[in-house]
Amino acid sequence: MRVVIAEDLALLRDGLARLLRAHDFEVVAEVGDPAELARALVEQQPVDVVIMDVRMPPTFTNEGLVAAIEARARQPGLPVLVLSQYVEQLYARELMQDGTEGVGYLLKDRVSDVLTFVDAVRRVAAGGTVLDPQVVQALLSQHDRRGTAGPLGRLSAREREVMGLMAEGRSNAAIAASMFITGKAVDKHINSIFMKLDLPLDADDNRRVLAVLRYLQDSTSAGHPGRR
Amino acid sequence: MSAYAEPARPGHPGRPYPRWRALLRFEVALSVLTGGGLTLGWALTGAHGDFWPAWVWFALAVPVWFQGSVMWGLRPPRRYRFLALHTSVSFATAVMLLAIWMLDGLHSSWPVWPILGLAVPLALHYWLARGRSSAREQQLAQRVDVLTRTRRGALDTQAAELQRIERDLHDGAQARLVSVAMSLGLAESLLASKPAELPGLLTEARSTALAALDDLRTLMRGIQPPVLADRGLEGAIRALALDVAVPVLMSGNLPGRPPVPVESAVYFTVAECLANVVKHSGATSAWIDLRYGAGLLSVTVGDNGRGGARPGAGTGLTGVERRLESFDGILALTSPAGGPTVVTMEVPCELSSPKT
Repeated sequence: MRVVIAEDLALLRDGLARLLRAHDFEVVAEVGDPAELARALVEQQPVDVVIMDVRMPPTFTNEGLVAAIEARARQPGLPVLVLSQYVEQLYARELMQDGTEGVGYLLKDRVSDVLTFVDAVRRVAAGGTVLDPQVVQALLSQHDRRGTAGPLGRLSAREREVMGLMAEGRSNAAIAASMFITGKAVDKHINSIFMKLDLPLDADDNRRVLAVLRYLQDSTSAGHPGRR
Repeated sequence: MSAYAEPARPGHPGRPYPRWRALLRFEVALSVLTGGGLTLGWALTGAHGDFWPAWVWFALAVPVWFQGSVMWGLRPPRRYRFLALHTSVSFATAVMLLAIWMLDGLHSSWPVWPILGLAVPLALHYWLARGRSSAREQQLAQRVDVLTRTRRGALDTQAAELQRIERDLHDGAQARLVSVAMSLGLAESLLASKPAELPGLLTEARSTALAALDDLRTLMRGIQPPVLADRGLEGAIRALALDVAVPVLMSGNLPGRPPVPVESAVYFTVAECLANVVKHSGATSAWIDLRYGAGLLSVTVGDNGRGGARPGAGTGLTGVERRLESFDGILALTSPAGGPTVVTMEVPCELSSPKT
């Protein structure tokens, strides 16, 4: 799998590259700013996934985010996994406003759980969606605070918990393990969630993240400011 | 003094001196009654010949007129009161002279001279008063300008400082900790498959963690140096002087501790000066003099280097100067080509209780 890494801090760029190579990824380019990234995306095709930092030169604010959105505009469907030392719901919304396929947004800390991280990279590359647990948590608790209007309000506490884990990209087995319930019970919760959210039953894991993203995008179009 | 009540607020356009007003009303009534009676008597006795009651009316009007003028003159705020009193009395006298002139049959134009005599000193008074008040106003306006500028400077400096701290944390300690977590995670994932790589990864994680600690320490020193809190300005400057690559001679001492923000501003200014000594001056020795007197903390940093330093030219002095300015402090730099360079800073402040 061909990966491009865009990260301005050499320490983290090298670390990421080594980590991915150790897990049989082919790192085809390691770049430090948006211009180099644009060049690498032209020269190194085909690129299976781009892993990039939110903060990049020249202003070190959200050039990475802008670059990710631009790269996806130039090459629709280009899988992009955005990493950051802090996560903002607002950034997640901006990143996903043009579609959620092949998009990931994770706190850099998650890289340390190497196997989960590597799995997340693979899922994004395959067109899946990965959202950081912190964003998901903020989303759900914000929803809890704002009341029970909307489709998410119909979920029970248990179902919201399951959905939070789903949105993080966990498998059924992982959800079952972390909630100390059986796989069968997880299935039951998930079916109930899909029914309540009017989502078609589907075996695709990605479908499940869409449950959260549907809400995310609804809020975006309704113009709610991202609040945590 | 108790004849009238001082207005509650100077310059308040209300109705001051109520007792004077009552007295004036009483006088007016009495005068009208007396003058009216005499005029009536003149009319009843045939109203022929000269209208002599005019002089009675005049005599009755003069005290009322003057009292009213003085009262008017006392109305403005204290700052302008003397001038207003002068104006009103001069005006009242001129009117009185004109009245005499008219009653006397408008002979010649003699009132011109006494009126001129009144006008000249009044004009002089106006001129003096205006000069004085505008000097005062100018002083205040300058002060407001300085305060506005230094306040904005202080806020800018603070915002820039916060941004620098955030950037330093993000690119420094935080990034290193992420890297440590990454190395450990990688080590964990390779535990079974490639155990030979573990020692290298662990060593690296450990040294990165130490580097993160180092970053944090440096950052903390930049925010509030621990030695400044522990030892005060004098001790902290001594500590700074010891760390500099060239020998630094310290003289003077402080009989107490300046306020914390002043300590911090002066400390960072001295640190900046010493950094410049090392970076730019090529000096082989430097000196610092520290003293306090007459409410003024003054610190002088000098070196025997090549001189030619300018405040704007990347010396970083502009920033610390702005920081000093917010305490009404000043920074002076003399640095002729060929040296020596001397930076003097003075900050007005109070010292807290002497060292024990």
